[in-house]
Amino acid sequence: MAQDAARATGARVSPQVDTLIRAAQRGDQDAFEQLVRTYDQSVLRLAMNLLRSPEDARDVYQEAFLRVYRNLHSFRFDCSFHTWLYRIVTNICLDQLRKRKVRKEEASVVETSDGPIDRMETYEEEAAAADPERSMWNRELKQRIESALVGLTPRERMVFELRHYQGLRLRNIGEMLGTTEEAAKNCLFRATQKMRGVLGDFV
Amino acid sequence: MNCDSVLRLIPLYFYGEVTPEEEDQVDQHLHECAACAAELEQQRAIAGAFDQRRVSLPPLLLEECRDDLMAAIAGGAPRQVKLGKGPWTLFLEALSSTFSGSGRAWQVTAALLLFMLGYAAARYSGQGAPQIAAAPSGDMHYNVRAVNAGADGNVRLTLDETRRREITGRVEDSNIQQLLLAGSRDEDAAVRLGSVGLLKGRVEQPQVLDSLLNAVSTDINDGVRLRALDALKPMAGDARVAKTLSQVLLSDVNPAVRMQVIDLMVARRDDSMVGVLQNLMQREDNNGVRLKASKVLKDWNASIGTF
Repeated sequence: MAQDAARATGARVSPQVDTLIRAAQRGDQDAFEQLVRTYDQSVLRLAMNLLRSPEDARDVYQEAFLRVYRNLHSFRFDCSFHTWLYRIVTNICLDQLRKRKVRKEEASVVETSDGPIDRMETYEEEAAAADPERSMWNRELKQRIESALVGLTPRERMVFELRHYQGLRLRNIGEMLGTTEEAAKNCLFRATQKMRGVLGDFV
Repeated sequence: MNCDSVLRLIPLYFYGEVTPEEEDQVDQHLHECAACAAELEQQRAIAGAFDQRRVSLPPLLLEECRDDLMAAIAGGAPRQVKLGKGPWTLFLEALSSTFSGSGRAWQVTAALLLFMLGYAAARYSGQGAPQIAAAPSGDMHYNVRAVNAGADGNVRLTLDETRRREITGRVEDSNIQQLLLAGSRDEDAAVRLGSVGLLKGRVEQPQVLDSLLNAVSTDINDGVRLRALDALKPMAGDARVAKTLSQVLLSDVNPAVRMQVIDLMVARRDDSMVGVLQNLMQREDNNGVRLKASKVLKDWNASIGTF
């Protein structure tokens, strides 16, 4: 039954990962480190994309993998490890997004004497710096995209991020977020409708 | 299926999240309804715009996170690089076993002690001094590769030694450049990323160009490949670079890399580049990449497909 449930997620871990998990559960630190390294880049990328702040992404990374470390003994292989890990990560990220909604702030945008600037642009715009026209268009597009994202609920934002950037199936996303595939579909639909409202006449 | 039903399904259709029956019905409707087909195009364009918002991880962030995590797990102690047992560890283990009552361990201990003394003498005698200036600033690390116990009670150890040092110099310095070239092939992605970034601006040198082309084609880290592409920008018109870019465009798994390749390919417009982009359009499944490639082909007044 448990194995069937795991297969149904479509993301069953490889035998090598299975072996790592079992070794890590027995207290093998090297195995745990290898397990972290198998998944941590996509976890950090998700946190970074959602929170747009290296400091917050680092906090999410730390908290998520410490929770994994503390609770790995309770992982029973009744879902894929990826799903189990992402349940933890998405919960932490959703908490952060909700806190921000309350504070009504976006971490990457800071006020300066020249007006608000997006700190993340320093990472993103290096390639565009040599082309002012493209850079200007990009800036306008980014503003629109940020407006569209601000209009999403944390849950809609999460579903969109997991589907669009991480390429996960809505069935798996539903499982990670403790909801149904149908609810995840509705969430994605609402998110795209809101984006069309803001970006529709620009793209 | 009417327009309202199709419009509701378009985002899910775009992301491949409809049932096969729904897909057939939407396909048929889109074939007949220009308005709904335009809606799908808009969905593609919006998704393409969001592809461009994808954030690159800041250099070193991943490595720092890993170090912090492992330090936290170890109880907050500074993290040490894991290496094989060093002579000192072996020495202490031998000492410990001596006190547990094994007589033969005395021999092992004595042999190791002698080895250490000999080793230290050789090390401080000045032989094998490093070729590059600057004083050693770090630790010596050892990896023992083989241990053989002789019948006479001696122990023969084969080991690799690594001395951590800090070198300061300017990037124009050929010694520094050689180290950066070595760094661009290091097993640590953060080192490769930093090295490739610093080699930017030296791309006209054959060795650097080789190293960057190698990174773009073979590095497993997305950030390193993107950084190497950025460094190759001034040479984008070069025939050899263009050939590598074409191969990367058709084989790289990361859409962000493929998009950046297209940006570079704009610098060299010829029939072969048109052919590569048309070939890409036949196989590309990422909407952002498709959008970018089709824009370039349009700008070049070339057809999107091959006939």
